[in-house]
Amino acid sequence: MSIEDPGKSPRREFLKQAAALAGAAAVAGTVAAVESRAAGAPAETAPFEGYEFFGPDEAAFVEALVNVMCPADQYTPNGVDCGLATFFDRQLGGAFGQGKGRYLRGPWNQGPPEMGLQSPLTPAQFFKVGLNAANEVSMQRHSKPFEQLSPAQANLLLHDIQDEHVNTDSVSLGSWFNSLVYPLFVQACFSDPMYGGNYNKVFWKMLGYPGLPATHALDMVQYRGKPYPQAGNPKSILDFS
Amino acid sequence: MAKTLPKRSVVIVGGGLTAGLVARQLTAQNIDVLVLERGVDHRHGAESRLPTQRDELRWSTRQGLMQDWSVQPYSLRHNRRDPSYPIRWMSAFLPGEGMGGAANHWNGQSWRWSEYDPAIRTRYESRYGKAFIPANMPLRDWGVSYAQMEPYHDLFEKLFGVAGQAGNLRGTIQPGGNPFEGPRSNEYPQKPLEITEAGSIFKSAAQSLGFKPFPGPAANSTGAYTNPDGQKLGQCQYCGHCERFICEAQAKGTPEVLLYPMLLQRKSFEIRLRAHVLGVNYDAQAKRATGVRYVDLVTGKEYVQPADVVVLGAFTMTNTRLLLLDGIGKPYDPGTQTGVVGRNFCYQTLSGVDVFFKDRWINPFLASGGTTTVIDEFNNDNFDHSGLGFLGGGSIGASVTNGRPIASRAVPAGTPRWGTEWKAANAAWYAHAFNVWAQGSCYPDRENFLDLDHAYTDAYGQPLLRMTFDFRDNEVKMSHWVTQKIGAIAKAMRPDIMGSVEGLKPSFDTRVYQTTHVTGGTPMGADPAHSVVSPHLQHWDAQNLFVVGASVYPHNSGFNPTGPLAALALRLGDDLISYAKRPRML
Ligand SMILES: Cc1cc2nc3c(=O)[nH]c(=O)nc-3n(C[C@H](O)[C@H](O)[C@H](O)COP(=O)(O)OP(=O)(O)OC[C@H]3O[C@@H](n4cnc5c(N)ncnc54)[C@H](O)[C@@H]3O)c2cc1C
Repeated sequence: MSIEDPGKSPRREFLKQAAALAGAAAVAGTVAAVESRAAGAPAETAPFEGYEFFGPDEAAFVEALVNVMCPADQYTPNGVDCGLATFFDRQLGGAFGQGKGRYLRGPWNQGPPEMGLQSPLTPAQFFKVGLNAANEVSMQRHSKPFEQLSPAQANLLLHDIQDEHVNTDSVSLGSWFNSLVYPLFVQACFSDPMYGGNYNKVFWKMLGYPGLPATHALDMVQYRGKPYPQAGNPKSILDFS
Repeated sequence: MAKTLPKRSVVIVGGGLTAGLVARQLTAQNIDVLVLERGVDHRHGAESRLPTQRDELRWSTRQGLMQDWSVQPYSLRHNRRDPSYPIRWMSAFLPGEGMGGAANHWNGQSWRWSEYDPAIRTRYESRYGKAFIPANMPLRDWGVSYAQMEPYHDLFEKLFGVAGQAGNLRGTIQPGGNPFEGPRSNEYPQKPLEITEAGSIFKSAAQSLGFKPFPGPAANSTGAYTNPDGQKLGQCQYCGHCERFICEAQAKGTPEVLLYPMLLQRKSFEIRLRAHVLGVNYDAQAKRATGVRYVDLVTGKEYVQPADVVVLGAFTMTNTRLLLLDGIGKPYDPGTQTGVVGRNFCYQTLSGVDVFFKDRWINPFLASGGTTTVIDEFNNDNFDHSGLGFLGGGSIGASVTNGRPIASRAVPAGTPRWGTEWKAANAAWYAHAFNVWAQGSCYPDRENFLDLDHAYTDAYGQPLLRMTFDFRDNEVKMSHWVTQKIGAIAKAMRPDIMGSVEGLKPSFDTRVYQTTHVTGGTPMGADPAHSVVSPHLQHWDAQNLFVVGASVYPHNSGFNPTGPLAALALRLGDDLISYAKRPRML
């Protein structure tokens, strides 16, 4: 993917070409399937299901983001192969992205951080605003969009954003990252694979979280203070559906 | 125009724990009870069934069972001079919705408070002198004694199958229990839960320092259990999906399992779901509540429901808000120190220290909401406060209640937040860490209160309830002191890595879950100048209006709040039986 090979974004290039054709999303899966993976990473790759919410440019940004935050290594495949970008897409395109349960009436005033976000934007809208702003910063720094940065450049930029060292006029990128992007990243890694991330329960295996059904009345005594044998073989909601 | 419905005897606003307990007492005597609850019946949904119940993202992260903030949030300012902001997505505390209320998705940590808690002012004054309580701390006696509440504590524990180890049986201190416990007339109805590995580590360390650890009492059923009403609980499976979840095994003492199915069989009981109450109709001249107004959320129609007696059992925030909206009782004014509605608003003062052990298997997923091991030495006034410069304290314990992977992963300080190193730290420590924590008291402060915020409105066009709240000097000092005690215990465990030892600091942060233990706003007491309701929970300005729940606490103790409010609800039920026969100031 792009960060292994700075300067090019295979899926993005492909999607641009394919955009003229009907059914781009349907065939895009084959591209994902043949993308390179770091040597030694667990072999399984989340099937690419197409994006509901992201356009090709946004998808390229998010894919680069999750691959920087979750590089392929001895623990997991890269973020895209773990399904993390799919998780972002589904959450932002769904009820969460539309602001379900969030109070969105005015008046609007910026308050101290402890008051939580005081923005009239839904999470989906806010995500896009921040994404564009982050890309602008990337253009200013490197004359390249975010997904074309080297992993080291991208990582540094994300750290600067996290630490609120990057300012733009339109949006607080720090709060964008810390209150929206980072929580989505963590949720993508650790929620049930049913939501598209944590493909093949790879993050649960990494932790040793056994998942379902969790009827532990006997285990509680038998494995108190001992390694839990099923920890490496977790079960998810999907496995019981 | 709202349609007026036929009059009912007792109308209860809110269909949660307190409502269910009050209704249990009344309907046993065939007294007509109508409960109005804004939420739904959760018993047959995805939230109450496997495998969908075990969905951390849906029920916990996205707050699937909680109050809908898009309909009704709260606003906050830390100080009276600051502007307020509506909390657009509240994470700090999570009021529930639906038949059974927040007590369907509680952890079930089921405490009685200290024997002196209901007489807290007297306690401090008699021990340290009249001048000891600072002028800005309106600490008050409740007007009810522990001894008066004890039979109702006992009943609640039996109804909810509470598991625990008695510490004080009729005045005799019991080994293995909490030596600071008030005298209890009976053992807990069920034996304690299994101890966690974290609990064992905590226990040895605490004992090595001379403290007396004990299993925290819990409404998590250690075995199959049948309560005095013939209602049944299954055996707890230690699945780690208690708090924020509905127990699909029916092994957690909740209103949805133990109260409402039974009440629905009783002829004198009715619950109307999706009924959002907008106000209490108040006849100021006659000093009576005449009924309540609500919207039927299915049709959108508004109704007036007349009643002989109105009970507010809609949790701290709604209880206070309804009184303010309809001008029942004088709103509290912190400037002049007059008025009562909204005063003594308190929260809970939490802090903790993470401990990491390379070679110990904590297995946090082998746990239930109530698997806690606790000491009470540094709670409230269980130690000498002379010269310390603060009042209050906290219970300290190892409280591993789940290993749900989105939220329950401790990593050592300095770990990067993503990347391979982040994964390595998660892989290394997930099964090998826990938090030693204090649940601290929060005593009232003149400047912490509730009122209406006319700058913002909810989905029904009504002003929001505004919190003016922060952790004030007393709580900050207390937390610092108690957290040093945690640090000493953590150190005695000899962990490989220990997190920082820091007490809670202002400002109150709505983005982080703390506890759903907001209390006060309609405090009880013997003196109408400082309380909204009498010691019998009867409104001073409306004889037929009663308020129940944590909103009646004049202070918050270093325990979870539900035990005493459940006892008060059962007692209120009995008081209302008497009131129904002969309406009067009780
Ligand atoms: C996640 C979580 C964990 C908890 N864990 C513990 C614990 O371990 N130990 C402990 O002691 N306590 C715990 N609690 C607190 C405990 O749940 C409450 O103390 C208890 O439920 C209070 O009972 P109540 O009847 O006052 O309120 P609830 O049980 O919440 O009932 C209030 C009801 O009123 C309804 N309502 C509110 N406003 C309106 C309106 N305008 N119209 C109609 N209906 C309305 C609500 O929908 C709700 O159903 C926890 C709470 C939460 C949220």
